[in-house]
Amino acid sequence: MGKIKIATDWLAGCAGCHMSLLDIDERIVKLLEAVEFTSSPVTDLKHPPEEGVTVGILEGAISNTHNIEVARQMRERCQFLIAIGDCATFGGIVATRNLVGTQAALQRAYLESETTVDGCIPDSPELGVPLETVTGVDKVVHVDLFIPGCPPSADALFYALSELLAGRVPVVLPPELFRYD
Amino acid sequence: MTKRVNITINGQPVQARAGQTVLEAATEAGIQIPTLCHHPALEPIGACRICLIEISKFQPLHPACTYRVTEGLTVETHSPRVEKARRFVLELLFSERNHYCMYCPMSGDCELQDLGYMYGLDHWIYPTYTRPFPVDASREYFMMDHNRCVLCRRCVRACSELVANHTLGMRERGAKTMITADLDVPFGESSCVSCGTCLQVCPTGALVDKRSAFMGRNVQTQRTVTTCSQCSLGCGMEVVVRGSHILRLEGAWDAAPNGGLLCQKGRFDPLYDSRARLTRPRIRRNGGWEEVDWQTALATVAGRLANIAPDRLGVVTTGAATNEALYLLAKLAQDRWPAAHLGLWQQALPVRLQPQGMLTDLPVADLILLVGADPVADQPVASFLIKRAVDRGARLVIVDDPQNGLAPFAHQHFGRTQVGEAAQIAARADRPVVVYGAELTPEAAEALIGINGASFIPLEPGVNTRAAAALGFKPASLPTNVEALLLLLGEETPGAPPTGSRTANEVFTVVQASYVSPWTEQADVVLPMATWAERSGHLTNTEGRIQTVNAAIPPTGEARPDWQILSALAEHLGQKVPSSLEELSELAQSQITRS
Repeated sequence: MGKIKIATDWLAGCAGCHMSLLDIDERIVKLLEAVEFTSSPVTDLKHPPEEGVTVGILEGAISNTHNIEVARQMRERCQFLIAIGDCATFGGIVATRNLVGTQAALQRAYLESETTVDGCIPDSPELGVPLETVTGVDKVVHVDLFIPGCPPSADALFYALSELLAGRVPVVLPPELFRYD
Repeated sequence: MTKRVNITINGQPVQARAGQTVLEAATEAGIQIPTLCHHPALEPIGACRICLIEISKFQPLHPACTYRVTEGLTVETHSPRVEKARRFVLELLFSERNHYCMYCPMSGDCELQDLGYMYGLDHWIYPTYTRPFPVDASREYFMMDHNRCVLCRRCVRACSELVANHTLGMRERGAKTMITADLDVPFGESSCVSCGTCLQVCPTGALVDKRSAFMGRNVQTQRTVTTCSQCSLGCGMEVVVRGSHILRLEGAWDAAPNGGLLCQKGRFDPLYDSRARLTRPRIRRNGGWEEVDWQTALATVAGRLANIAPDRLGVVTTGAATNEALYLLAKLAQDRWPAAHLGLWQQALPVRLQPQGMLTDLPVADLILLVGADPVADQPVASFLIKRAVDRGARLVIVDDPQNGLAPFAHQHFGRTQVGEAAQIAARADRPVVVYGAELTPEAAEALIGINGASFIPLEPGVNTRAAAALGFKPASLPTNVEALLLLLGEETPGAPPTGSRTANEVFTVVQASYVSPWTEQADVVLPMATWAERSGHLTNTEGRIQTVNAAIPPTGEARPDWQILSALAEHLGQKVPSSLEELSELAQSQITRS
């Protein structure tokens, strides 16, 4: 049997959850004997392969149309989707934008901020269009496992991957690894 | 004997007391039912629905905190139906407002978070919240973030049931409901007395202490149970410490007389003291200050005192010293200088009326007569207890100026000369309680003694003035005909020293104090003293209770507890005094309770 393929990607997040993934430290060497990270924002290949992977991991909230595309593509190309971090599970810090409204947030950030000179709200067609409401990933695609945390601990991520490798599907992480902060 | 009721919880037979709620009975039987709005010190209202239980398949679920036990009742506390409902409630609570933990100061110490963990709430099925709520930081010491509020109403209940201040209430309906102060004014402009009881009972990060926010979670802190040293009530409290840094103070729920309450004076003010501390002993030499070690400082004092005539020593203390320090101070002076002047820099109660009542008598009083005291200003927790009694139906009669802080709550108010009329009204009550303070005149005392069946609760004006008076200290100003003065200031700075040469040059002045003040500037020797949080010992409260004070943090610099300084000084003077705190406490206590 070949290695289990895992692809990761990030949406509206801070990369902290990926840092946590790297914080698995030397255990990642052992993990790589059984799995292959096909693509991730921190590898050369950025997009999950068309032939698909077994496990997809998404960090970050759904904040713009681009996030929706990435989430949908990952969902289509993976058998088991894990949402990691408070942003992907609940909306997280990104969702505080909901309190002021997207337009007001853009205006404040790009036009009114104290350091702005000749500001303009970015509207390049390459960019995703910001959504009115920031949500967790599960509001757009079906999620199989949620690992909250800001960020989730390396132990939590390692635990989930180890369980999956052992053929077990964790429904909810054990209390010592289940954190919101 | 209370009637027993047989009920069954999760198939386990449980004997409950009649009138108990299912939650109480289950807790006593060791069965944990999760709660959120419930607080043992408050009346249950079943607001949050987390404690739902199943009585029968054919009934809706009931909250365990308000459902009373009845004979033969069968309860399921963790059936699938119950657990599903609790999860549903939690999802609603979490998705309604901003309950993101990662930037909340209470993360790690939040009851909502605990429940989320307990039920493994890893996402919610409801739309992400979008409604912003305001943050009100208009109060000096703590703030309210409505976005973190779960509307459990613990704060509202604490404000009305415990503090009887009735500042907090609710406005709007449903998901728009908000905690509000008075008729919807900022908390800082409301009738709030900043006692912080709501802060202490809040289960989430809605009410947050500005000083200790993000400074440490409960698991990272130590708690020292001690007695508040800010007034004569001596409320039980816990000092929450991380490292040697005091984070905050909390009222001890099981302590008499306060039962969890504290006031602004006790809870917040002591932590915001910005006066300059004295950290090393110093002596005046050649017109300037010289910092010296304890040995040198005490030897200097002993050397100078050795030649003072028996009637030429003056000893004056403020009312906040411990029993042990007051005992030592009196003994040190009287053993060697029998005619020493023992002064107390504060008023003390002029008379003691008998039979003495306790503050715990207030709830059963049907009439409270307040004479010569203003507890709102001086012993705020006593004013809370009085207002609580008024809420329960007791009549409040005040004999004082119209400015008395409790005047707005009084049923009748008499001028200071009309105490006789007030006493006549009190005499007609079944269980009258007289609360009196230092401004009681002998004539008023005369009138009060005649009240049939009354008990008398004294309100000492100073922290430990009851002990000071019992140990022979008499309210007086500075003695003038002395050659040496020993002043125990502690943390207080009573007025300013008399100007001119007297204390500075002719009279050898030793000041034992925690903070730099005009007094220490004029002294010949300054002995740095530990503050309320840094010393152990005992205080005698206004009711005569001997209460324990425990040091929560080490003294700053070389400062020492009040009694340790005096004990070391006695040694230098060649006097024999007990060296252990236990022995000393016992001697002090026996002398205080004897008189």
